[in-house]
Amino acid sequence: MKKLFAIITFLLFLEKNLYSAEAGMPQLDPEYWPSQVFWLIIIFLTIYILISKIFIPKIKGSIDMREDKIRKDLEEAKTFKEQAELKLNEYNSLMETAKIDVKKIISKSRQKLNEDMQIKRDEAQKNIDKEILNAETEIKKFKKDSFNKIKSISEDITSNLVKDIFGEDLNKSSVEASVQQTIKEYQKGK
Amino acid sequence: MATNPMEQFQVRKIGPEIEISGINLSFTNSSLFMVISAVLILILLLFGTREKKLIPGKIQLISEMLYNFISKMISDTAGQKAKPFFPFIFSLFVFILFCNMVGMLPYSFTVTSHIIVTLTFALFIFIGVTILGFVMHGFKYLKIFVPSGVPIVLLPIISIIEIISYLSRPISLSVRLFANMMAGHTMLKVFGGFVISLGLIGGWLPLSFSVALTGLEILVAFLQAYVFAILTCIYLNDALNLHH
Repeated sequence: MKKLFAIITFLLFLEKNLYSAEAGMPQLDPEYWPSQVFWLIIIFLTIYILISKIFIPKIKGSIDMREDKIRKDLEEAKTFKEQAELKLNEYNSLMETAKIDVKKIISKSRQKLNEDMQIKRDEAQKNIDKEILNAETEIKKFKKDSFNKIKSISEDITSNLVKDIFGEDLNKSSVEASVQQTIKEYQKGK
Repeated sequence: MATNPMEQFQVRKIGPEIEISGINLSFTNSSLFMVISAVLILILLLFGTREKKLIPGKIQLISEMLYNFISKMISDTAGQKAKPFFPFIFSLFVFILFCNMVGMLPYSFTVTSHIIVTLTFALFIFIGVTILGFVMHGFKYLKIFVPSGVPIVLLPIISIIEIISYLSRPISLSVRLFANMMAGHTMLKVFGGFVISLGLIGGWLPLSFSVALTGLEILVAFLQAYVFAILTCIYLNDALNLHH
């Protein structure tokens, strides 16, 4: 401030010398002081009343409206978020129960399947055993039959051979005995 | 042609002479520029509040920024109790700012470069704040002159200094604004005069100074309006919240 004043006074001095004009301060001339105060009061009062009664409420209204809107939006967003979280939790719990159910169903069906398979296998085994037994008895029977048949055939063949070669019948019992013996020898040699 | 740099501060009568009980209350160029500033303020606020948009337009944004700026200034310096004085501070700041800014236009008149205008404001604020202080706190308001935590011996001296500083508030407040505006405008005029007198060859240096000074003066115009308003807030704070 002091510097500024020094510069001003210096410049004023300079100007006075340069242009040799009267360099008074019109501000200190009291001629129009009442007029300035009067008009200042009137004009300032006017804008004060207009600003305080009309413009400030309006500006405040628009700022409040914006803040209200922002707050409301934020609250809405919050509630939406809460709802979304609730839904997510619901979904998660649903998924959890569904997973458990699925596991249960899978294990149950597997067990059932295993049981079924076991039963089917057992049945099949039984059938196979039965079939095998039947087949074995049949084979045994067939073996027995075939042995007796072979015996009688070989006796016939022997008696026929003897008859053809020697021209006379042999005693049936002796033929039987010799065939018996040959079979025995054969079985032994085998 | 060179003119007196103080001539720009000359108050001239415009229109007929109005005299009420022997006091000259004529409409002058000072009054005219007060009216121009007031009209500009009202136009700005009118366009700024014409439509309440959620996303503000440029002018609405300016008026809302002005509102928030002053609102913040008051709550920072004077607290919540000063809320009723918000319209006054708002009007004061805007009026001084516009008078200063209008004064920056060439050939215009700077209303605030007159001591009587700033003194009117300052005295009004001073008297208003003093009355407010006494209304709010009664005679306890005089405590403002007795700072707490001062040794008894120093108390009389400190009190005298406090009283002087309190009484000099209107003078410091008014002279600060008036002197700043007057000095700036005088300097601008002086440098402008140099441009003419030094002519085409030497006039470039003062011209560049003039340009720089114009920028500085716009800053000063804003700053002084701000300082005036914030000092008003501080004085209000002293009166409202007595904790010296």
